[in-house]
Amino acid sequence: MAEEGKTGWSRREFGGAAALLALAVGLPAVGAYLSYPDEDEAPSERQIALMESVAQLVIPRTQTPGAGDVHAGAFAILALAHGLDGTLQPVSNAQSSWAIERFQRPDGSLRYVDWLESVLDRRANDDWFRRTDQERVRLLSALDAEAFEDGGDGHPWKAIKALILTGYYTTEAGGSEELRYEPVPGRFDSKVPQEIGTRAISNDWTAVEFG
Amino acid sequence: MMDSNFEFDAIVVGSGITGGYAAKELCEAGMKVLMLERGRSIEHGADYETEFKAPWEMPFRGSGDAELYAREYPVQMLNRHFNEYTQGHFVNDADNPYATAEGTDFNWFRSYNLGGRSLTWGRQSYRWSDYDFMANKRDGHGTDWPIRYADIAPWYDKVEEFIGVSGAAEGLPQLPDGNFQPPMPLNVVEQSVRESIAARWPDRRLTIGRTANLTQGKEGRAPCQNRAICARGCSYGAYFSTQSSTLPAARATGNLTLVTDAVVEHLDYDEKTRRVTGVRWIDKAEKRRRSATARIVFLNAGSFNSVHLMLNSRSEAMPNGLANSSGVLGTHIMDHASTLAAIALMPGYEGWTTFGNRPTGIVIPRFRNLEQIDGQGHARGFSYQGGALQSGWTRGKREAGIGAEYKESLQSPGMWRMVLVAFADCIPRASNRLTLDTTKKDANEIPQLKIEFAFGSEEHAALADAKKEATAMLTHAGGNVIMGFDKPGTAGGAIHEMGGARMGNDPTTSVLNRWSQAHEVENLFVTDGAQMSSSACQNPSLTYMALTARAADYAVTQAKLGRL
Repeated sequence: MAEEGKTGWSRREFGGAAALLALAVGLPAVGAYLSYPDEDEAPSERQIALMESVAQLVIPRTQTPGAGDVHAGAFAILALAHGLDGTLQPVSNAQSSWAIERFQRPDGSLRYVDWLESVLDRRANDDWFRRTDQERVRLLSALDAEAFEDGGDGHPWKAIKALILTGYYTTEAGGSEELRYEPVPGRFDSKVPQEIGTRAISNDWTAVEFG
Repeated sequence: MMDSNFEFDAIVVGSGITGGYAAKELCEAGMKVLMLERGRSIEHGADYETEFKAPWEMPFRGSGDAELYAREYPVQMLNRHFNEYTQGHFVNDADNPYATAEGTDFNWFRSYNLGGRSLTWGRQSYRWSDYDFMANKRDGHGTDWPIRYADIAPWYDKVEEFIGVSGAAEGLPQLPDGNFQPPMPLNVVEQSVRESIAARWPDRRLTIGRTANLTQGKEGRAPCQNRAICARGCSYGAYFSTQSSTLPAARATGNLTLVTDAVVEHLDYDEKTRRVTGVRWIDKAEKRRRSATARIVFLNAGSFNSVHLMLNSRSEAMPNGLANSSGVLGTHIMDHASTLAAIALMPGYEGWTTFGNRPTGIVIPRFRNLEQIDGQGHARGFSYQGGALQSGWTRGKREAGIGAEYKESLQSPGMWRMVLVAFADCIPRASNRLTLDTTKKDANEIPQLKIEFAFGSEEHAALADAKKEATAMLTHAGGNVIMGFDKPGTAGGAIHEMGGARMGNDPTTSVLNRWSQAHEVENLFVTDGAQMSSSACQNPSLTYMALTARAADYAVTQAKLGRL
């Protein structure tokens, strides 16, 4: 955890972070959903900002909002706290270069946000936020490439990126502007031409589940 | 029809697929019926709280709170239809424990609410054939069914007409055609694979799933809107459930009394009359015990819970459980052995996509061991379900990349793939059984149900055969098979658990007779999956309903004749 977090999280501060997250993910009372094995794990404001900046790099603003714009990073924090996609399961340190040991809980699960903050700060010469946008793209692209190269199974970045994607494509912007949202199709067309620019349907549940 | 000696003509225990059907049939025949449901009330439409919510309106965007699920829904969360939208339609495992025998595992999927699993079922509706009703006699496993296809065919007609089953007639003796609404179409890839398989294997047929989703409206129910979110509950009434179909019909008669939050704990047996005289339950809302009497009792609590109730209804006269002098009660339980037999990438269809969410996949009916034994190490059958689908945005989780190009790459539907999941016949074995675990009690102080179940060599051989043939068919159709399994998943996974109070001609080796009526207790009928003597490889719910309608007709006839 970065310096801000090392000072420890009081209940008041924890409440502050929950309020920030509530604002970000659009829930009236995110505190009701947000719980951590240890209060010390509550995200700092800096970590929330870092996750949003990373989300925006993964899915940038184009004709439609980016993932940071719609607070997919904050959603990923909520999701990680609750173990979506198996993120409260123990992880193995398959590659020493991942440097996850000091971010593992006693049960072997990983404090993903702390890990990412540490990795990005280290690669950014101690402060991610002092790098330019171009530098951040370069640094995150390198991390992404490492995670997806052969032998990257179980790389922590993959889990974070996955939840950023979930956080984006399940927002109104991601689900109904970037993609199409068809809550009541009313019919099934079995053979439709797919041309360049055909937008996928975000609530194609079979694709979401098995795709 | 009320007799002053009884509070009701009939008591139906359970409100799911068969309980609702029993109540409808008995009410429509003029009986005063008490239907007891152990869970909460869920009214059609009004109580489908998440039905119209978008992901962004859900706290966890539809995925749900994984930490909560791991703690309180560790079994139910494995159900394909379980998610943040539908979790209220499943039991809380922590509050509803069951035991498994050491070294065995069984995933028991349950819905303790009005409508039971009719709200969350897969809706696949297939007739069984005489290959199935004669399977035990043919290979010597289990006990011979006391009925044949001709006995149940008229009841399939009746049930299909009422519930509404869409499907295509194929003229296959192993999967008899029914009284179908127009079929949903195969998609572009499935149609091609159908033609490819038929050209190479004339005895194999890929067809659209026969599903209890309407393609034409009927009796206050609208046709399917192709949302494929059925398990949330469907206000259109487009799929068959207790709420959409049988409950309104039963209520319309004015003969139904429905009590929810009623956990039935015991059936009272009178040794002198050899009849069930009453049903006792725990009123969860008022936290007190209640009871009622009736001329006849239909048990429809769900296969394992009906057996559980009978095992728990011990008496001096029947110390081993109700209607269990044979000692067979609880034995020969089954669930289809299932696995993902093959998944293949399907190149060549990049120019095509679909619109709408079809709420069914495809089926390739059984082709093994029909007129002859095919010599693959198993004597019964398997069938496939699955379909062709395109990947969506979630494929991005597996792909490298960040930035605008990456975002753009996820905007269109992705690669086609085809999935075949095998469902194999399960051999009825005495060693697969349900018992009471007297060392463990549930929240109602009732001994927990203990499940002891293992698949055997027949199921393993069938799934190995299924994997091999799935690979052959998809490869022949131009697919690149990337994965396949030949080992069954954890038992219970097919959600077709059945048996435990099997039908048979011999009272010393079976619990029920050919009318789903207890050999020993003439006013007791068990018409859910507990009555099954074999499993076939088709989804069983349609058969449960047909047998329920048949048993109800018999019970009413007998009652009118003064024999019940």
